[in-house]
Amino acid sequence: MVRIKERYLLVNILYPSDSAQPPKPGLPSHIQLHQPTTDTMTPGSLLRGIKKEVEILYGDYGAGMLNGLQIKYLSLATSTFIIKCSRAMCSMLWSALTFMSRIPNKDGTGKQCIFRVVRVSGTIRKVEEEAIRQSRALIVAAKQEASEAQSSISGITRQTADMQAPAQSHFATVDDSDESMDDADG
Amino acid sequence: MSSSKGGSSQPNNPPTKKRKLDNNGNKSAARRVARAIPAQLPEVAFENGELNLQPFVAAHEFEIRALEQSMAISKTQGATRAFQKVPRGLRRRAASHNPKRVPKRLRARAQKEKAEDNTPLVTARRRKPTTTTARIRMETAKKLRTLAFRKKTFREKRARAAGARAETLPDKAKQPQRARRPKIRRNALNEPPRPRGRFRKRQKNKIWLPTHMWHAKRARMMSPKEPLWRFAMPLRPNEKIYRPTHRMQGDRGAVVWDMSYMSTIGLYGHPAGMERVLKRIGVTHDSCWNDKGKKWRAGTRSWSGMLSRETKQGRRQSCPATIFWNPAPADRVAVEDLKKDRRQVFLRVHPASFSELFNELLRWCKSETPQLYIEDLRFEIGSIELTGPASTEVLHSVLTPYPVAGEPKSKHAELFASLKGLTNPAALPQNVILGFSIQDPRLRYPPRKQSPAQGEAADMKLLETVSGWPAETALKPYALLDREARHEASQLPTQGLVNRRRSKITPGSFLKPSPIDPAIPIVLLASRSGSSTQAQGKWTLLAPWKCIQPIWYSIVHCPLSTGGNPRFAGLEQTRQVAFERGLPWFPADFPTTDAGVAWELDQRAVRTLKWSRRPKSKRTEWSTVDLGAGRKGELGDGLACDFEYLFGLPRPDDAETQSTEGAMDVEQGQVSQTTATSSSALSALHHVSRKAFLGLARAGEGTALSIPLNALLTVRIRLVTRGTVGPCARIYRLPATPPPVPVASDAEVPATIPPSASTSFPSALPHDLRAQWLAKLPDSTAAGAKDTTRQPRATTPESRRQRIVRELTSKPTPWPSTKSNLRDIGGQHPLCPSSNDLIGFVTTGEFCLSDGRGSAIGSIAVDMVLGGFRADETEGRLCIVRSAGENVGWLARWEAV
Repeated sequence: MVRIKERYLLVNILYPSDSAQPPKPGLPSHIQLHQPTTDTMTPGSLLRGIKKEVEILYGDYGAGMLNGLQIKYLSLATSTFIIKCSRAMCSMLWSALTFMSRIPNKDGTGKQCIFRVVRVSGTIRKVEEEAIRQSRALIVAAKQEASEAQSSISGITRQTADMQAPAQSHFATVDDSDESMDDADG
Repeated sequence: MSSSKGGSSQPNNPPTKKRKLDNNGNKSAARRVARAIPAQLPEVAFENGELNLQPFVAAHEFEIRALEQSMAISKTQGATRAFQKVPRGLRRRAASHNPKRVPKRLRARAQKEKAEDNTPLVTARRRKPTTTTARIRMETAKKLRTLAFRKKTFREKRARAAGARAETLPDKAKQPQRARRPKIRRNALNEPPRPRGRFRKRQKNKIWLPTHMWHAKRARMMSPKEPLWRFAMPLRPNEKIYRPTHRMQGDRGAVVWDMSYMSTIGLYGHPAGMERVLKRIGVTHDSCWNDKGKKWRAGTRSWSGMLSRETKQGRRQSCPATIFWNPAPADRVAVEDLKKDRRQVFLRVHPASFSELFNELLRWCKSETPQLYIEDLRFEIGSIELTGPASTEVLHSVLTPYPVAGEPKSKHAELFASLKGLTNPAALPQNVILGFSIQDPRLRYPPRKQSPAQGEAADMKLLETVSGWPAETALKPYALLDREARHEASQLPTQGLVNRRRSKITPGSFLKPSPIDPAIPIVLLASRSGSSTQAQGKWTLLAPWKCIQPIWYSIVHCPLSTGGNPRFAGLEQTRQVAFERGLPWFPADFPTTDAGVAWELDQRAVRTLKWSRRPKSKRTEWSTVDLGAGRKGELGDGLACDFEYLFGLPRPDDAETQSTEGAMDVEQGQVSQTTATSSSALSALHHVSRKAFLGLARAGEGTALSIPLNALLTVRIRLVTRGTVGPCARIYRLPATPPPVPVASDAEVPATIPPSASTSFPSALPHDLRAQWLAKLPDSTAAGAKDTTRQPRATTPESRRQRIVRELTSKPTPWPSTKSNLRDIGGQHPLCPSSNDLIGFVTTGEFCLSDGRGSAIGSIAVDMVLGGFRADETEGRLCIVRSAGENVGWLARWEAV
């Protein structure tokens, strides 16, 4: 039996603090960074934005390769989504996401943001596990920061909190553990 | 995709409920819904339009819940079917989709899945024939049914008419009829038992083992069109069994085989004549006929060895056999006329060489006066073989001696009972026999677990029994060898009757043997593997053919004290076990016997077929195998243990190439011709035993001890270093050191010298080839030389840096680089010696689990190794083995077996 091999990407939409829009005082930096996505982004518009970006980066070849893309999960409240793609175009998709700098909504007036790929895996289960782990870490970090901000006066503690904060790494982990299984199947 | 839709409306609704709603036939839609992960809209993460901690945490908590739920659902909602949950031991081949074929606890689930999937379920009765043959068959069956029905009604009618008249007469039909004793002809082959009608057609050109039905469901059987040795053999269990077999046969547990296909021949007559006949067929060892063989001749030991027969070229091996005598009755009066004395001897041989031995025996029996006679007991006596530490335990829980009222227990039965706690039948005196009667094992079914060993005192008692072994006292003839007793034992009550009797007693208690339960006479043979007492031995249980099945059921369901049950195995496992114990396996490892030749020719055909079925790009092209030093092409036929090539015998290929291509009939004629020529070529091989070989080696070159023509020695080969070799691998001896070239003569006639020199030592091969190979020995001091050629692995950053520096500063390799495989193979392996040093072929070879390294059984030409062996016994034992079609050889050590 031929098994179609796929990759699942866990992507965070991040909003780094803008110099034009100073952050609200007393608000934990994590909440600022992981704030909900307010633009009306639908799975369709997200896919369209990605396709456009891939076309810019890879031309017709990239656009042609881009099939089987599917949004498995899109949570605007937590600015997280899981996207499925074929294994061959995984890196293409990742680079396109890296180059996207705005929320791709309908009228093209999306907020400035960063798409960060947190985890790449062959199974959706591992991606989901990672998303859970990350959410937990974020809750803990945000709560801790908030309590520290309340107790201390100035923003000096901000830095320490930043350092202690979430256990998330800044690099996406690529999980190929299912590979051997796939090959044995095929 | 549906995430935003689903989540926004009802965030706390578990998707399982939705799945149920959707689950009206549309499975894929239901699955899609189940897989959707609910998500929230961004508004919930704001508090009065502001970012804040509380809604942020709530949103993330919701996400965690949603993802966890999704994972749990997709786990239960997965795509596995009920039959995939069936334990491995219970898996069957066919129709797994049928809910009736899965265990009871999974049946409901399977039913549900079947309904959901709309799995088509065809019963055999309602199947429509698809092929013409099937249609014709069905029509015939229909006609036969009508005929049978008509016949039946007619008979009933007649009986009714007759019944009115004959009511007063005593009913003859109701009297229990005595079953007819099967006919055993003297000096002739016997018919197999007549199978039941519905199974008769399937056994036209083969015979089922007594446990065929059981095995056919659980094992891969021999293809029905090509029965092996005219039996339906189980080849291997459906389960993966390679490693379990390795563990069960040596470390823990037990392996059992139904070996009923082994043939038994009975030889009857006066002892002196029998001795002459046995000597003629190869039982020539002195230890059989002098005082040492007294116990054997009394019938308390068996003898196992190779039989041989006289041919024009000398004695030729025929097959391994086990021979034992039936003890003479104790009350026998000494007969004055020795010729009037009567004894019986039984030979157990492999079916591959049964007819050969039978004809041979027949010939010699007829030449004796007064004449001896033989009986073919093939379908009279069946056997089960057990090996492994728990084998004795299994026998103890299955075999219960048959109690006879008023008579003391049989001595052998007592002896058998005293073996409790024995873990290795090889620890008993060599080749002991126990003969006694057991009761029907179904009376004590299922067998119970034996209590473990009882302590030091019991061990001491066991040791005393083993060392004393009082088997000779009160010795009686073995009932198994008595035709009447065998026949009586074959009249076992039906399973239904046993079940009815069992339903009347308290559950858990055993049935008592009643007068309708006959005693089952058995003979137990214990044997060692090889000569060592350390290696696991084996038990062979001989019993009447018809009693094998109930005994088998009890054996395979016997719980072991170490956990689990004994594992059954097939033909391939007999080979594996023999290989792991370092023993040659009949017939594959005996190319000097007729059966071995037949096997080899068979395997050649199988390998050729398999090879020709591969795509051209994926199969080995024998003519282009690069052996290094410019040598191209495999030596001989790569798909054969090509002894014709080794000894320069006429090859079957010659006939093949000459004959014309074309029509079917031509091809068939050609096939028969080739098999005839090749079998005659291979049958010119002769065997030299280990003892004879050592004798030859010790004798020195001067003596007149002659080596038979085309003499082969069976050897066990253990690879010294890494690597494994497969069957058909080539065996080389170590290349000789080239003779120093005489300088003066070289200068005079430079052009004419090479021919003679190059035949003995090909100039293309490096001169230090022998030294290169000897350097591969792990314990040799020359191992340092190997390290200089090979780069040590760079493990630390420092060494890596040094390596880079070395690479940068060293001279660049000249371009074009020298041709590969000229001086060595891949820069690591020495070249294989030339074809002059080819000494033999591997018949069985793979990684040996008990050795932990590659190992093989092969046959080598005696005259090729004798010189080297005489010169240096340790270096003479070294050889190089190379798998067919490969160019890397491995250093190995052989020892004669």
